[in-house]
Amino acid sequence: MSSLERPDDFEVRRAHLRGLSDEELHARFWTLVEAIVEPLVEEARTHTSPSIERSVLLRMGFSSVEAKTLVDQMKGRSVLGHGPGSLVLKLAQRRGVTVREAGLELLAGRGWEELAL
Amino acid sequence: MKLKLEETLDLREVLRDLDRYRPRSKGWSWREKIPEHQVGPFVLKDTSRDLKRSVPLLAAPAFGNIDPQCDRVITTEIASGHFEDDLRRMRMAAWHGADHIMVIRTTGQSHFDGLIEGTPEGVGGVPITRKQIRATRKALDAIEDEVGRPINFHSYVSGLAGPEIAVLFVEEGVNGCHQDPQYNVLYRDINMHRSFVDAAEAKRVLADGGLLQLDGAHNANATAKEAWKVTPELFVQHAINCAYSRAAGMPADLIALSTVPPTAPPAPKLRLDLPYAVALREVFAGYRFRAQQNTRYMEADTREATITHVLDTLISRLTSADIQSTITPDEGRNIPWHYNNVAGVNTARQTLMGLDGITELVELKRDGVLREQVRELKERAVLFLEEILEKGGYYAAVAAGQFVDSGYYPERKGDGIVRAAGKGDGAGSVVAREADYGAPVCSHFGTNRYADGNGKPCDAIGGCTLCDPAKIQYIDELDSEDRVEKRLKTPLAEREAGLLRPEVEKHGDGIVCVTLFVPGTAAVAEAAALEMAGHMGLQQPEVISRRLMHPAEGSAFEIKGVLDMALRIDQLPLTAREVPLPDAEIETWVRPRAIQVVAATVGEDEHSVGLHEILDIKHGGIEKYGFHCHDLGTSVPVERLLDSVEATGARAVLISTIVTHGGVHEGHMQRLDALARERGVRERLLLVAGGPQVTDELAQQCGMDAGFGRGTTGRDVASFLVRTLRDRETG
Repeated sequence: MSSLERPDDFEVRRAHLRGLSDEELHARFWTLVEAIVEPLVEEARTHTSPSIERSVLLRMGFSSVEAKTLVDQMKGRSVLGHGPGSLVLKLAQRRGVTVREAGLELLAGRGWEELAL
Repeated sequence: MKLKLEETLDLREVLRDLDRYRPRSKGWSWREKIPEHQVGPFVLKDTSRDLKRSVPLLAAPAFGNIDPQCDRVITTEIASGHFEDDLRRMRMAAWHGADHIMVIRTTGQSHFDGLIEGTPEGVGGVPITRKQIRATRKALDAIEDEVGRPINFHSYVSGLAGPEIAVLFVEEGVNGCHQDPQYNVLYRDINMHRSFVDAAEAKRVLADGGLLQLDGAHNANATAKEAWKVTPELFVQHAINCAYSRAAGMPADLIALSTVPPTAPPAPKLRLDLPYAVALREVFAGYRFRAQQNTRYMEADTREATITHVLDTLISRLTSADIQSTITPDEGRNIPWHYNNVAGVNTARQTLMGLDGITELVELKRDGVLREQVRELKERAVLFLEEILEKGGYYAAVAAGQFVDSGYYPERKGDGIVRAAGKGDGAGSVVAREADYGAPVCSHFGTNRYADGNGKPCDAIGGCTLCDPAKIQYIDELDSEDRVEKRLKTPLAEREAGLLRPEVEKHGDGIVCVTLFVPGTAAVAEAAALEMAGHMGLQQPEVISRRLMHPAEGSAFEIKGVLDMALRIDQLPLTAREVPLPDAEIETWVRPRAIQVVAATVGEDEHSVGLHEILDIKHGGIEKYGFHCHDLGTSVPVERLLDSVEATGARAVLISTIVTHGGVHEGHMQRLDALARERGVRERLLLVAGGPQVTDELAQQCGMDAGFGRGTTGRDVASFLVRTLRDRETG
């Protein structure tokens, strides 16, 4: 038997559950689930990914092809953590143009030095 | 776009102006239950509104042609690789009661780090793209109008591009989806951090878009070595996705558990699967249930699969389900064929109508072995959760191989799926949000400087695409060759030229399936069956199902092959079917004449349904025009019919012949004709035969004046009688 193998010791393990009512058992089930999920949710709240940022740029009115190029380039410059959408918006505000125009400028290779980090 | 009843879906029209198409509604649609629903002669308990147009179940003609619709959404999964062919199949499925169309994605889309655009050909599914979604949603709008019921369009939000696909789905009016980060981790080896971080964003977008979400837990049934032992873990997988979805802002009534009864006969299916189904519904009260049918044990035999699916549906009716999903009975042997999607839908529809009101008659026991097993499953699931926390959380538990182990937890066989948190596709791609992180759009999850103030986060950019769809950037195609317009050239040209080929999946595939029984040992019979198929002209014949009847006496085979021929529609020997006379014209002629008609089911044949349909006033039969019908019943010898002719002075004899073994139906017709001649009454009589195997041509060859086959109505028969008798009167 390898270390990953184990016989069915349900009868032993269940000892502390036996006395619970069905309602108490359900409550215990969901409390444990919440405890497992909580750190995963916290990670998601405080982190981002290329796909998330592409989805933000899509929502800002860029095509999938434009969003992918922008995010790849932002990733290359290690600025994903500031939010590519936010960076494009700030560039637009600084230049007094629309976010779409600002994004197209970046896609044309211009304005990268102006990104406000 | 509007569909014409007698015309195939106009694909050119579907593809026209897609850059301007907008979905006319968003979010999921349920069927509305109508309690105590009077449908034809019945008061039904578990039904919803009837369809405007549909193809009823085959037994419907015996019950006034009713087509009641159950109270659950019915799913069918479609994806041949050509979405343009799938649209026609969706229309067929909708006419049989499907209102949840799940489109399977092409192999490998999960690992595509971004969106796919255009309409490239897929493998085992279709590439999900904006253009493909718009075309499909537009066609479904028209199909909805044709059948008179909303149709939910569904695909998958998994893989490396989950958040983008979620945005795409909400923008384009997709109604439902699968989203479960555990699926990525366990079955697609996508990095765990990436999967969960992406999933929160995707779920938030989906929640705001009102899409119904299904989880991916059912896949463990298909993967685990002994599916019924993975049940404790399935509680855990469902629960993690439910809790994670809630945390991302999704309401419980948009979260559905995707659950499958895990076994099939010869296993004691209900004894194993029912306690599991009951326990799940108790622990997850308040969530939705999508009851899937089992695919795990399906081989090539469609009948065998169907029986398992009926039992699956029985379990979901005895417990509960909001969606009854269906599996095509041929899924075990090939990418499903058109008519097998319809067969799968009908398995659910027929079973659920048969079970209408069952919970008023039976209830599950509240003590004994059922309750003991329910309790045990719940406790095993709780123990599973405890060990995840003991191990240090979800990532650590997956890395330790705790998931999809074939032991009946807490038993472990050591064969679970092992994934390391730092590995997998997309590893290292997740980054921490900086203090100034922001995303000026709606439906964004987590810290966001634009979500802190009043108003919408997208106010800063003057509205995001979710608020202002005019901002969506539409890409038509990126590839000039691999695209739908190119693929459609030949099919559309053939259609315009009036050419027809058989088809099971894609336009013009030419595939047909023949069934043969060959008396011989299995190996000899199979070799012979293939050879015979070749002699029938089938190219690339392939055995797709073999069923042993006896090691020496023979086997039955289904063989598929390509029939490489195109027929011209204008050269078909179509027998011009006579247009029936208007009701009023028939009645005006018949009623004053008091015409006597004698009728019976002849021979050793107890079927009375067919004849009732033709005679009875209730069923729209010929009595309503004023014919005086003398129905002598079933198993009537032809002599008795002629005795009755003499007694009543009848001018027509209608015989029904259902049983056709050894050509007995032909014998009855010939004998009726001969005996009428013998008795000297043939000249003044009209002899008419009907039955599912009867054709007008066959009947006339056997001495009848006319024959009527499947689908005949009383009006057809009355029209014939009136036309012929009227001609005789006027000479």
